[in-house]
Amino acid sequence: MLRHAWLIAVLVAAPLAAQKSGPQGDTWESIAKLPDFGGLWEVTFGGGPRGGGEPPSFTPEYAAKLQAFQAATQRGEIEDGPSANCVPNGMPSIMTQPYPIEFLLTPGKVTILIEAYAQWRQIFTDGREHPEDPDLTFNGHSIGHWEGETLVVDTVGFTTDTALGNQGQRHSEKMHIVERFRLAAPDRLEVEATIHDPEALTKPWTRTAAYGRHRDWTLAEYVCQQNNRNFTTDDGKSGIDLSFEESP
Amino acid sequence: MIVRTKKRGARARSLRDVVTVLGSVLGILALASLASRAEAHHSFSVFDMETNKELEGEVIEFQWTNPHTFLWINVTNADGSKTRWGLEGMSPNFLGRRGWTKNTFEPGDKVKVVVWPLKSGEAGGTLQKATFPDGTEVVNFGRAGG
Repeated sequence: MLRHAWLIAVLVAAPLAAQKSGPQGDTWESIAKLPDFGGLWEVTFGGGPRGGGEPPSFTPEYAAKLQAFQAATQRGEIEDGPSANCVPNGMPSIMTQPYPIEFLLTPGKVTILIEAYAQWRQIFTDGREHPEDPDLTFNGHSIGHWEGETLVVDTVGFTTDTALGNQGQRHSEKMHIVERFRLAAPDRLEVEATIHDPEALTKPWTRTAAYGRHRDWTLAEYVCQQNNRNFTTDDGKSGIDLSFEESP
Repeated sequence: MIVRTKKRGARARSLRDVVTVLGSVLGILALASLASRAEAHHSFSVFDMETNKELEGEVIEFQWTNPHTFLWINVTNADGSKTRWGLEGMSPNFLGRRGWTKNTFEPGDKVKVVVWPLKSGEAGGTLQKATFPDGTEVVNFGRAGG
């Protein structure tokens, strides 16, 4: 029996060798060799990009936009942002909401389910390029590849309806985000995001968010319009609708 | 002496105890990071976060809904009149992972609450914590286990 081991090895190895050697994550077999991103991940206390770090360095035009926003806030003309009306944050802020995210790895694609505002991102890992002239969307167009154990994601095509944060920091249509996803510890995911924007930023802005793993959690429904009593008006005022009808 | 009108399941009680312990140990930490967490859905500009207003009332309804839970209580004023307060809490998604359920409050429950009141003077605010007559406490900005 043992003397036929070489034959068994050849029989097993041959089909594998015959497969096309596409990008890592292109087949179920290669997905099985990737790091385990399973379970749900939630931003940890103090681990998110809002925990500190160097602020973005804006070009004069975008610094002026920020100052105008801050002045309007001081005058009480802007009290809240679009998310109070249930508009999703878009990238990059949608990645660091206080709700979990989940990774689905399928051949040629990583899908990130984002509980907040019931969003998703799809990251093509099949070797394709970005469209030459992408539509401008909240979460952008993402392509990715694996560098060893790190998923590197490149995203372009952002609408300027979204902001870099909720404090009046804006970005241009040229925003380009490079994220590096890796397991820093068995149950700790770190995402280093570098934001490039030649119109808005004088230099790339890098932040790292940390997520804790919750294997026993499942995603929950998030329909923001269900009972949204918060609002912000066109003239920047915000408040809470306290109308009440007792349930029958 | 206030007597509970509804019986609570042992499970609900034990979950509440867990939340109470978590709340007391981690409450300060949780509140310290509130400013960043508040970014989730809306700013806190309409709330007076400098004031911890205490109210005592009876639960009318607990809305276990997104993007926020709402606890509606009737508060008896000094002159005997009643005011209905609407208290915003975190979402069922957030709280459900921290021991709360849709039955955490039931109509008729007597509660003492601490809230950040609306600056507008309307009868509303952000719920920080609620205490039941038996001393058990639930906190809004708790931290998940695991």
